[in-house]
Amino acid sequence: MVSADQSSFSAPPNPSLLTGRNWIERRLVSYITNHTPTCRDVVRLLSQSMEVKLPITTRIKLRFHFLICIWCQRYERQLWALRKIASSVSERVADIYPETLSDRSKEQLKQSLRGTEP
Amino acid sequence: MPQESSNHVNPENWVDAYGDRLYRYALLRVRHHEVAEDLVQETLFAAVRACAKFRGSSSEQSWLYGILKNKIFDYFRKLAQEVCFTDLEFLEDEMSHKFIDQGWNHELGPAQWKPGPEAALNRKEFWKTFRSCLNKLPARVADVFVLREIEQLDTAQICETLGISQNNLWVMLHRARMALRECLELNWFEGKLKLGPKTNG
Repeated sequence: MVSADQSSFSAPPNPSLLTGRNWIERRLVSYITNHTPTCRDVVRLLSQSMEVKLPITTRIKLRFHFLICIWCQRYERQLWALRKIASSVSERVADIYPETLSDRSKEQLKQSLRGTEP
Repeated sequence: MPQESSNHVNPENWVDAYGDRLYRYALLRVRHHEVAEDLVQETLFAAVRACAKFRGSSSEQSWLYGILKNKIFDYFRKLAQEVCFTDLEFLEDEMSHKFIDQGWNHELGPAQWKPGPEAALNRKEFWKTFRSCLNKLPARVADVFVLREIEQLDTAQICETLGISQNNLWVMLHRARMALRECLELNWFEGKLKLGPKTNG
């Protein structure tokens, strides 16, 4: 995407952003590009939004950005999916770590516990 | 099932009854076998010393988990005193190829996940992939992710435990999420369907 200090309606340097769009769409895309955060900033802000509520102006800018960027939209959905995956981890711990304490470790542990008075 | 009451506590029985579960619980959080084993041992010793105080108001298992949880926090507090938790260089360069002039390089941008993540949750193989992706993260970045998303501590608790600033925590979480998302996409959600810029995903 382009930086904010570039003039309005200048073509975004990422050529694929404008592929297949008509003249009006190209102008609209360029305008939104110039007035919303870059994708690199958007992904950082999306992660931050999972920790703290972002200012309303930032949230509006993100919504506008999503109008032109399917990749950031997907990224947001996938971050929340990742959170859901992580929250399921505790239930699936035996699938993630099938390891158990070895018999030897268990025996040593029992011996040590025998020597510990309550 | 072991006895839920403390009336006839036999610590040796704890090893068979809860040992493996406590071990996995610790392993998930610290990701080192030796450390996890030590934590289980410390937990059981602490439980023996404290078993007189255990009134059986909670189950024996949740009481032991509670002790282990505190031991794990102590472990991270101690670790944070020994190593630097603010590995802010991570991924700065590794992910730069994904962007062209700060926008996604559309050949490398996020793909549609097919089948969706819900279907993955019930697949054993998926969790192996998840583990391997988590292990690919730099250790401290993975620790932060685990404390936030698996242990579900809030920002203030993590910053206090690890002695890091809120901004550092956010940066590390951002990088952990970015790398994990990428790794899961490449190694699990393989049915990549790259869509053009005008198509809804």
